[in-house]
Amino acid sequence: MQKKLIAKSLAASLALTLVAGVNTVPASAADKELVVWADETRGPNLTKTLAAKSDWVSGYKITVKAFSSFDALKEAVDKSTDLTGPDIILGANDWVPTGAKNGKLAPITLPASVKARFTANQLFDLSYKGNLYGVPLDINNVGMVYNENLVKNAPKTLGEMVSYYKANKDKKGLAAGLCIAGGGTSWGAHSVLSALGGSAYRMKNGAVDTTKDPINPAELAKNIKTYLLDANGKSNGFFPATDTGCKDNYLAGKVPFAIIGNWEWQDYMAEGFQMNLMPVPGVKAGTSGTMFASVSGAMLTSFAAKRGVEAGAKDLLINFFASTAGAVAYQAIELRPPAEKGAQTKVEFTAQQNFGKAASKAGIPQIGAILNGAAGSKSYWDLLPAFWTAVLVNGKDPQTEATKMNGFFVKNVAEGVKDL
Amino acid sequence: MLEKVKHNAAKVLKYLFVALTSALLLMLIQSAFAKKEYEIGAFLVLALIAILVTYFSNVSIPLKFFLPGLLFLLAFVVGPILYTVVMSTFQYQTGNYISKPEAIERVRALGVAPDEAGTTFDVVIGKYNNQIAILASDPINKKYSINTLTENIELAVNVVSLDENGVAKEAPDFSPSNTAEIAALDREISNIRFKYSGDYFISLQGTSVGAVARQVLDYDKNQDKFTNLINGNQYIDNGKGNFVNKNDSEEVLQPGWRSPIWFSHYIDLIKDKNVRSPLISVFIWTVVFASLTVLTTFALGLLIAVAMSKPIRGRRVYRSIFILPYAMPSIMSILIWGGMFNTEFGAINTLFGTNIAWFQSATFARVAVILVNLWLGFPYFYLISSGAMQAIPSELSEAAAIDGATPRQIFYKITLPLLLKIVSPLLIASFAFNFNNFNLIYLLTGGGPRNELDGQIAGATDILISYTYKIAFGSNVQDLGFASAISVIIFLIVASISLYGVKKSKVLDSFS
Amino acid sequence: MTNWLRDKLWRHVVGVTVSFFALFPLYLVIISSINPTGSLQVSSFIPREFSLINYKKLFNDPTIPYLIWMKNTLVISGTVAILSVIIGASSAFAFSRLKFKGKRFTIQLLFLLQMFPAILALSAVYVIMERVYNFAPHLGLGTQPGLLLVYLGGAMGVNIWLLKGFVDSIPIELDEAAKVDGASAMQTYWQIFIPLAAPILAVVSLLSFIGTFNEFILARLFLIDMNSRTVAVGLQGFIGGQYSQNWGAFAAGSIIASVPIVIIFLSLQKYIISGLTAGSVKG
Repeated sequence: MQKKLIAKSLAASLALTLVAGVNTVPASAADKELVVWADETRGPNLTKTLAAKSDWVSGYKITVKAFSSFDALKEAVDKSTDLTGPDIILGANDWVPTGAKNGKLAPITLPASVKARFTANQLFDLSYKGNLYGVPLDINNVGMVYNENLVKNAPKTLGEMVSYYKANKDKKGLAAGLCIAGGGTSWGAHSVLSALGGSAYRMKNGAVDTTKDPINPAELAKNIKTYLLDANGKSNGFFPATDTGCKDNYLAGKVPFAIIGNWEWQDYMAEGFQMNLMPVPGVKAGTSGTMFASVSGAMLTSFAAKRGVEAGAKDLLINFFASTAGAVAYQAIELRPPAEKGAQTKVEFTAQQNFGKAASKAGIPQIGAILNGAAGSKSYWDLLPAFWTAVLVNGKDPQTEATKMNGFFVKNVAEGVKDL
Repeated sequence: MLEKVKHNAAKVLKYLFVALTSALLLMLIQSAFAKKEYEIGAFLVLALIAILVTYFSNVSIPLKFFLPGLLFLLAFVVGPILYTVVMSTFQYQTGNYISKPEAIERVRALGVAPDEAGTTFDVVIGKYNNQIAILASDPINKKYSINTLTENIELAVNVVSLDENGVAKEAPDFSPSNTAEIAALDREISNIRFKYSGDYFISLQGTSVGAVARQVLDYDKNQDKFTNLINGNQYIDNGKGNFVNKNDSEEVLQPGWRSPIWFSHYIDLIKDKNVRSPLISVFIWTVVFASLTVLTTFALGLLIAVAMSKPIRGRRVYRSIFILPYAMPSIMSILIWGGMFNTEFGAINTLFGTNIAWFQSATFARVAVILVNLWLGFPYFYLISSGAMQAIPSELSEAAAIDGATPRQIFYKITLPLLLKIVSPLLIASFAFNFNNFNLIYLLTGGGPRNELDGQIAGATDILISYTYKIAFGSNVQDLGFASAISVIIFLIVASISLYGVKKSKVLDSFS
Repeated sequence: MTNWLRDKLWRHVVGVTVSFFALFPLYLVIISSINPTGSLQVSSFIPREFSLINYKKLFNDPTIPYLIWMKNTLVISGTVAILSVIIGASSAFAFSRLKFKGKRFTIQLLFLLQMFPAILALSAVYVIMERVYNFAPHLGLGTQPGLLLVYLGGAMGVNIWLLKGFVDSIPIELDEAAKVDGASAMQTYWQIFIPLAAPILAVVSLLSFIGTFNEFILARLFLIDMNSRTVAVGLQGFIGGQYSQNWGAFAAGSIIASVPIVIIFLSLQKYIISGLTAGSVKG
């Protein structure tokens, strides 16, 4: 019994000495650190940019955390709090309304000289209820390219493209006429939907036109029947409902027209294809489909202020992300069309410039408040792929399905404009 | 003698182990309370007491065995479950995410508006008369001033020294701070509203820009309401997590906060048909899916076990092949199968020359899901059945053979019943596992196909857990509160069914 | 002749058919990994081109620290495997051998807790680990030890179920003989039970290893840093990316990751069979 007591007290004193000897209360961080979160491509690219030159903000150290995927980044952003959250997020513009409503983003006021370096649309993309929540980074858009070995001249109408496909399908073993290699069947496919006469929402003079329905079901159905379906109402193979294999087929010369994204043009140029980017031609000559030309942004979080690095974070936004020098340095590695006007003239590659040109010609803003769908409604992102599947794969009647889709779109516009 | 040494060595080891753990816990407790994490700190204190009492006394011997496991269970399983139950009573969704004090602070911070001209200044941060001050320049209108918390001192252009852009860098009595000092003061200076004129102040936008603004939304703590100082609108707490305009219930201030709404979610679940009916059909499919999985995997596993029960040439090779699906990491296998079902380029359609749109058709998608689960699960039941059949005493079948029973009769009347008795707990466990088999559905079909155009939320292959996940995390309007309520309901249903099944099979009788 | 046919032929037919079923996807993974275009398109079932470019990419691309991912996975899964078996074994022993109040209630509770859709407690776990990060940055969100702690939460529940049956099958006479010799419960546990249970413990730790290996949802949220990721998260990123799908690298990575597991599994075949079934056989 005595021994046990001794043993126990020895153990207790050991424990206490350890505790006394090791002070584990972490000292508050002495270095000022700015934490930037980005996805699996932007993260490493930003790290490389900062490795070359890192003194954009004096007195602060910049740490970049790259997530394993865009979705993983979004998931983490949705859950972030001031304990472990970032100071700046590189993300999509439609994260702004959600982030602001969830109290995660903080606004920044830019001086007029900085604002002048961007277009009003770009700044609007990153605003919510009158507050700007970040600075535009680069333009996200898609563009259509055509295989110059197959098609000599740029097509002027959608009909031209379909005729070419039908004439050469068997001769050249074409897998499709126009497919979506980048951007997916909702975001990238808006060009096709709008070339056929539909739209997610109508724009007029730079603002959403709530007086016109986004889709005229009869007109859309007529165009679909003319260009995408054969006599039996089945898909004529011109436009596939999924994007699987599109890139491979285009690179193998089996598809004459493809919609590609501005983040992957190097893959095409490496195989010898020209970046003859253009919007998707419409039904009538001189018209074209519109694409979402949104900006990705560097957004300011409300956590920065809580961690006492707000001024440093705002400096990083203004002095690096929004500056010409910073944009040029970053886009030299990221290889997307920069949003900043000064950087646009300085980018090295024609591809980057051409994407920018396509965006100015046929881009519409990507309005998350409308596209993400109102409560009780469906989002554009789910509806359009379902529409293609219903009409092109399951052979359902285009007009019925278009009417259903329009019903949702109208509801989304009505609710969405309230939240702008 | 050796026994005594071993005995003492074991005791020393035990004390050392407990001492180290206690030391670690003490350190964590100290940090926790230092950082105001009281709940976690309290849990750690209780854990420490439990450890000391259990291992230094003999009050409960069984506890010595499972206390560590129990503590982990409480911390990371029971804790989150309780948290989820609490979440289900809150309005906790996009736009109602943070706590009320945080929301008030955010609304206040956002409730500022610039002046009509949107005036901004180039500033230099420094000290003036020992106060933090900014030296503000408007190069275009050639206005310069020193602004502190309380004063706006205008300066004539000839007393300041300008750089090449017309920005004032120096002024009398003003000492600029260096970058290290500014960085250290970041928190302070970001909160200062430097005096400008009237209601307007200058707030920092980084270390070299200042913007003019004034507070528009004013918060009254006593009445818990916001007032718009310009147009007089009043915003009050609407009991559902937002400040709403007294005269216009459509206008809410963002952000809102997560607010207790008690059983509203549950009432919605029961009352609202749009919410209730998908839940019922998803539940039915979940039961069907889990049952079919158990049936098919067990059937195939048993078939192979019987086939391999007599020594044949190449039996070892067959056995090694059969185990491979189980040995391969399942996430990879599921994703590969997903590729194989692709309509245009998938291996299945290419191999059989078919053109089935596997994941676009409800029936075929369900078939695909069951097929993949069969591939993933049959090796497990093959191993189980093999071993169980070996455990059945051969005398039984030999005696029956002597009595004139055919092999088929022996199998169905003797082998199979005994086998079922042995593997029934594992069948139940497999059912339970597949009931919540999120990975398979999420990775293979995403719960689809879904008839989006008809407004369907639940897809044809959605099981309860994937359906709930979609509501909680999947879309752009996330509703954690509602999803938590669904989880609790799922749990209650599943728990009662399992308890019933388990009682019936008397599996747990062996435990008491 | 007919006897042989009836008896042996059908066994071979079953064996071959099921083998084809089992091997087909694995064969596809292999030919995808040597397909230079890096796509899932199966142009022909006999590969026309052979290229190791996907494997090279795995090891040479600086943005894909595959070996580091493997190391992380082995460390995390291995630690979880060992620790959870220790927890499970001691709990199973207690529930099988020792009498105490509330035993039935506890085991029912444990069983029920397994039923809760853990995926939704994700937010809760995130919040808890964030708070832990607040005062113990080496153990909280974003750290490997933190993820380990969360995984260990489920250790007791899962492993008791598997192990308890085996413990029951060890004759109680052994325990009683030890008690007569003056051994305490603890001594019986360490000196008699553990040596006997070694095979089944090895099996359970292997199953635990594989289970942790496959987990990617929690891991993806916790381990953000490129260099602290596990293989599961990394590979999922190859094809879950917003902009690109790299099936070739995914296939190559899957194969390399599976090889050690398959080898261990095949060499421990005997143990596994006896271990899995010992859990349900009584007497």
